[in-house]
Amino acid sequence: MQPDAAIRAEPAPATRALTCPSCGGGVELRAAGYTVHVACQYCGSILDVTDPQVKLVTAYHQAAAALEIPLGTRGVLRGVEWEVIGYLQRSENGAYGWDEYLLFNPYHGYRWLVYARGGWSLGEQLTVMPDWVAHDQLAVAGEIFTHFYADGVARVDYVLGEFFWRVAVGETVQTADWARPGAMLSREENAQEISWTRNEWLPSKEMQQAFGVQRDPLPWPPLPHQPSPWGDWLKTGVKIGLVAFAFLLLFAFQFGGTRWDAAGTFPIAADGREQSVTLGPITLRSRYQSVHLRAEVPRLENGWLDLDYSLVDRKTQQVYEAYGAAERYSGTDSDGAWTEGDRRTAVSIPSVPAGSYDLVVDYKGNRWSNAPSYLDSGAGWMDAANAPQVTVEVRQGAVYASNLWLALILIAAPLLFGLFRHLSFESARKGESDFAPSGSDGDDDE
Amino acid sequence: MSGRTFFFSLWCLGVAGLFVLGAGFAWSPFAEGGRARSHAGYYGPHHK
Repeated sequence: MQPDAAIRAEPAPATRALTCPSCGGGVELRAAGYTVHVACQYCGSILDVTDPQVKLVTAYHQAAAALEIPLGTRGVLRGVEWEVIGYLQRSENGAYGWDEYLLFNPYHGYRWLVYARGGWSLGEQLTVMPDWVAHDQLAVAGEIFTHFYADGVARVDYVLGEFFWRVAVGETVQTADWARPGAMLSREENAQEISWTRNEWLPSKEMQQAFGVQRDPLPWPPLPHQPSPWGDWLKTGVKIGLVAFAFLLLFAFQFGGTRWDAAGTFPIAADGREQSVTLGPITLRSRYQSVHLRAEVPRLENGWLDLDYSLVDRKTQQVYEAYGAAERYSGTDSDGAWTEGDRRTAVSIPSVPAGSYDLVVDYKGNRWSNAPSYLDSGAGWMDAANAPQVTVEVRQGAVYASNLWLALILIAAPLLFGLFRHLSFESARKGESDFAPSGSDGDDDE
Repeated sequence: MSGRTFFFSLWCLGVAGLFVLGAGFAWSPFAEGGRARSHAGYYGPHHK
């Protein structure tokens, strides 16, 4: 049906003028030589132009509809200049109407410009049959299409302009559609033939630039082949996010910090009095660094150790403080043995300027005096015979691991939001299918 | 480059910039300690 090859061999851009035998109006043939039927733009009568005398097929006396793209309009789509030569208004027996504009270029043949529910598509009739790859999937040129609409009937409700076949109002074909994001595959079948058309999604902006049509908001629920507005961005966004996180990871490894250095091990008094030790000097060489302090109390059991750290600048006496507590509890109950807490504690002091410092550690051991009698609090972890000690370690650094995690969350948050929107969109799109699982109706708000 | 991609790139640059700035000052919102606001007297030995 598509005379593409012949057109390429012998282009015929000539136009031809004729007179409508019904109303006398002048009718210009834009694809003279290829057009079979033309609908008069003044009265709508169908004329057969294969006959030199121009035969009146069906007489109408109706005012021509005002088209969104008037016949004769030219526009450049995907690098090819097309002229609108025909217009069809079709529906499923009066419901779910859509518009089809026939485009013509003497070197590229015919295309369809389809407008349905606020979205535009560029249709090209296939010269090959799609291949079945699954019970509900077809493949054409490497693209997989999933069955979307079951068999239906498309009827021609209104005709204007010229066509390369004998078109008539009331003409019907059996239809079925397969879709993938960005394109739709439509099958039309009548008694004479089966034709396949690949309809490619056209962004509203592209249509405005090509034919000056008004830009519509994106249809909702989405059309069967409407691409998710978040899909492409997600693919690019993940790459950008990975690059950003790789940079942060490399930076963190480069400036991660130094090793832990044991600053000292100190006895813990059995009477629970507050003790104090001073460690130093601790020399900090970078302009700013974080100082991490870690304490471990190996014999700690059913009690806790309070630790007050004061990092004192020897020169300015400026103090940087932190508080930590190691606490550990254990016992048995009806569920068996249990433990809670940690014998180690770690704290950090951020943004400490360069200088020579003393670290003052005030610490105090505590017993859990309210321990229930059934708990094995022993003779007391602080007893002298137990030789309780606390070991303090110091490390300097620049990059906090928590900052790295925070940065990862901040980078991932927009991507997760985009993924959520993308999945919602796809769910709504697929929900419009005749083959959607029951319960997915695609009526979500966008 | 779409607007979304541009703004996301800008967002990532901002996050990376803040991360590097945080590393430059060795700062974290999750650090436990900090500079003492007021202090009377001296801690520890007073070196002359």
